Amino acid sequence: MKLSRRDLLKALSVTGVGAALGVPAYLRHAWAADPIKIGLPTALSGSVAQYGIQAKRACELFGKEINAKGGIIGRPVEFIYEDTGGDPATAVRKAQKLVEKDGVKFLTGTVLSSEALAVSAKCPEWKVLLISSINGVGTLTTKFFHRYFFRVNTSGPMGVRAATLYLAESPMKRFYGFGSDYAWGRDSVGAFEKQIAAVKKEIIGRDFAPLGTKDFASYISKIKQAKPDGVMVVLAGQDSTIFVKQAAQFGLTKETKLVMEILELENMKAVGDPMIGIIGSSRYPFTVDTPKNRDFVKRFYDHHKVYPDMFDGETYEALEWLAQVITKAKSDDVEHVIEAWEDSEYEGLEGKFFMRKCDHQAVQPGFMVEAVKDPKYPHLIPKILATYPGDRVTPKCLTEEF
Amino acid sequence: MPLSLLVEHLLNAAVLSGLLFLVSVGLSLIFGILRVVNFAHGVFYMLGAYLGVTAVVWSGNFWVSLVVAPPLVGALGAGLELLTLRHIYRRPPIYQLLLTFGAALIMEESIKVLWGPTARAAEPPPVLSGSVGLLGATYPSYRLFLIAMSVAVGVALLLFLARTRAGLVLRAVAQNSEMAGCLGADVRLVRTLAFGGACALAGFGGVMAAPMTTAYLGMGIGVIVDCFVVVVIGGLGSIGGSMIGSLIVGAAQTWGGYYLPETAMAIMYVVMGAVLLFRPWGLFGQEE
Amino acid sequence: MRRLALLVPVALFALPWVLARHQLSILTDLLIFGLFALSLDLLMGYTGLVSFGHAGYFGVGAYTSALLLLNFGVPVPVAVVAGGVVAAVIAWPVGYISTRARDIYFAMLTLAFAQLLYTVAYKWRDLTGGSDGIAGVPKTGLWWGAPGLASPTAFYLVVLVTFLMSFLLCRVLVRSPFGRALLAIRENERKFATLGQDPARFKIAVFVIAGFFAGLAGGLFAPFRGFASPETMFWVLSGQGLMMVIVGGIGTLVGPPVGAIVFILLQEILSSYTEHWMIFTGLVFLLMVLFLPGGIVGATRAWLGVKGTA
Repeated sequence: MKLSRRDLLKALSVTGVGAALGVPAYLRHAWAADPIKIGLPTALSGSVAQYGIQAKRACELFGKEINAKGGIIGRPVEFIYEDTGGDPATAVRKAQKLVEKDGVKFLTGTVLSSEALAVSAKCPEWKVLLISSINGVGTLTTKFFHRYFFRVNTSGPMGVRAATLYLAESPMKRFYGFGSDYAWGRDSVGAFEKQIAAVKKEIIGRDFAPLGTKDFASYISKIKQAKPDGVMVVLAGQDSTIFVKQAAQFGLTKETKLVMEILELENMKAVGDPMIGIIGSSRYPFTVDTPKNRDFVKRFYDHHKVYPDMFDGETYEALEWLAQVITKAKSDDVEHVIEAWEDSEYEGLEGKFFMRKCDHQAVQPGFMVEAVKDPKYPHLIPKILATYPGDRVTPKCLTEEF
Repeated sequence: MPLSLLVEHLLNAAVLSGLLFLVSVGLSLIFGILRVVNFAHGVFYMLGAYLGVTAVVWSGNFWVSLVVAPPLVGALGAGLELLTLRHIYRRPPIYQLLLTFGAALIMEESIKVLWGPTARAAEPPPVLSGSVGLLGATYPSYRLFLIAMSVAVGVALLLFLARTRAGLVLRAVAQNSEMAGCLGADVRLVRTLAFGGACALAGFGGVMAAPMTTAYLGMGIGVIVDCFVVVVIGGLGSIGGSMIGSLIVGAAQTWGGYYLPETAMAIMYVVMGAVLLFRPWGLFGQEE
Repeated sequence: MRRLALLVPVALFALPWVLARHQLSILTDLLIFGLFALSLDLLMGYTGLVSFGHAGYFGVGAYTSALLLLNFGVPVPVAVVAGGVVAAVIAWPVGYISTRARDIYFAMLTLAFAQLLYTVAYKWRDLTGGSDGIAGVPKTGLWWGAPGLASPTAFYLVVLVTFLMSFLLCRVLVRSPFGRALLAIRENERKFATLGQDPARFKIAVFVIAGFFAGLAGGLFAPFRGFASPETMFWVLSGQGLMMVIVGGIGTLVGPPVGAIVFILLQEILSSYTEHWMIFTGLVFLLMVLFLPGGIVGATRAWLGVKGTA
């Protein structure tokens, strides 16, 4: 009697587990795969959540507009969001779930470059596309490039290039490099060192802070001691805001000029007046004065009640371009989309884009901006100081050379 | 070394040590009095930060939040002890550890539910939001305030334990709870109040920390391991030990972070390991 | 009874042909973490040593495997076993030092060492990729020159075989005189010492063995996810391991894998309803600690009136 109860329990539990895992499999096959699904393994929590939120905002606006017009090739677009918390291991796990369980063919919205690298490495195996609208690290289109990856955004080396071209004409000579200690921070500071040396200026020191650092006091001390003319700041998300705030508190902003690799609206809103006068590169400043962009900014503001930040714009452009390419290919089959996308042009919000076949990097204009006060807006805005055409800021294919 | 740099270093170390002390002294006391390692201590610190931010938003006044938030956190801690911990004191210590670990997970996720996944910025009160010039260094006033408060709390705690009746009862229960019970102390009540009080201290640390570090998820996880290092070095159950431990860790992180960034963190764990091996009750703890 | 116990492995072998790709991934994940929890039970359940740093060896195994697969293209079994071996090598000095402390101090020492490993992994960018981790770890073949284990079913079977063999080895171990010695140490270490044996040798040995199996699990994890990162060593994973052991049933060997099932399935199922599944998982864990310290398997056994160690 005892034995059979125990055996029954064992058998039941195994069957139960199998059933719990297996039944949904049958249900899945019953659905028709009608919508075009785009998966976003993005950071919706943690110190870089502001980027995931921007990606989501862009998707919401784009989805609403495109579905009102009948979708892409007659099919509705569906977005599936998964929170990675800004952790590469979680990003891979969530991406795997999006691909295997939800059947998405397009992934986008990866926030950290390290997350993008981890997810990108699996895309050839999964045969899905990873479309970057946020990730900057150069290696995504050089050392680790493969055909299932497309970068629509300005890369880190490109942003640094815009800054270097601008700084080449300024009297500043001695620079300090300060970045977040992960792929993008290291890559951009390294790119800056190379490029600034090429215009005969010097880097006098470099330092890296772990992602999520909340107290920059000792880094600020070090920078002060080095007495640089300018500091190239390559920090992600909240780290950037907190650093600028604390730099102001410790008087660093009075002693040296901060140059941000990405100068965002989010920083300006959170820091406020201490940010006035800080310059940096911007991948998408909402103040770009083209008819297409003015219209976009108005529609974005009407829907979300805020002005679009850098990655709102970049993600929207990525989605719009993807939609055009799918339409051109007349299908969402990944191989056809790749073919249609390579060597194609796109009229973006900021100007003309061109998707290079050799490394899937979109050639686009680069911008140098300054944080200024403007009575028309409730917060500081990026004023464009200089615009550089695409071919001047985009490195040679599969390299970080110019 | 220029004087301004030295001043900055010393102040930075003092800030770190002060904050660490505020959080770890409670942990140390809980161990001393209840023999429990409270894995949830970091989450109480985090809760204090979030409650503080909300209190400032509601009342418009930082000082109000400083008074209101810590007791709330303490009440929650006392409630936890009353409902759960109290019933498993007789079990092997691992169960108490695991229980506080489970409580930490639940609380952390609940904070995420209540306040959302993004960090909450907190501003220091207007009177403290500027910077002062000190011997050539520009230093934020709020941080100086934090140092002062930590010292004040430390002194107050020492006086409380040494000079008041309640403090005497606490020390008695810590040393020998059975005897203290026989002599008329209500041991169960003392334990609940002590646990609540220690959590309130952690919450207070959180309220103080928020204007400097923002209130963010992961605050709890980030601080708890540092606290373990502090109390192990200083001695579980000793306030003076927590002070010394905080100073050592704060100094090591500041100077190590400046001169040897790659190895600073690692050194802390090596020191912790060495203390655990040769003097497991810490520099100032009581030999078991 | 034996016959029905065989039903479980048979079912596990058959499942790939029944499950969808996504479910198979979950099952693979489950077996990997089941192995991790199993190794922790050797320490916790049988020897009474609670380690808060067991994830360190999982992580070491993951990095070893990742580096060998990525840089030298060794076959998967070689990478996995190497993961276990390197983890065991690192566990030896840590165990030697940690076991000299008792109870809570032991737990905190293991935590300190795991954090040390984490810090090294985080800072040593040249070797470990720092916070970026190591991406693009390939699934190579079963032996040199064999085709890659690209099919999810093929990889799952490798994981399954590793899990079953490890389980059997551990079962043999705990039923052996060595295993009985461990139980004696758990019950009353001083008494054990008076019998003329040195408990330290046994404690170190089981620490190393547990480290080996944790490293094996990590070695499987790296090619499965194609990725290794410092998070695999972080104490949060150690904590999750503890939860799996307690929920499943401490000291039962079967329990921890059950705990892993509960933990991972809870996460999967609940996360489609709510992002905050951790609250429920934490509550389940808390209630178990309070009312069912024997875990699911322990309680089931008590209910069925069965007694035993494995």
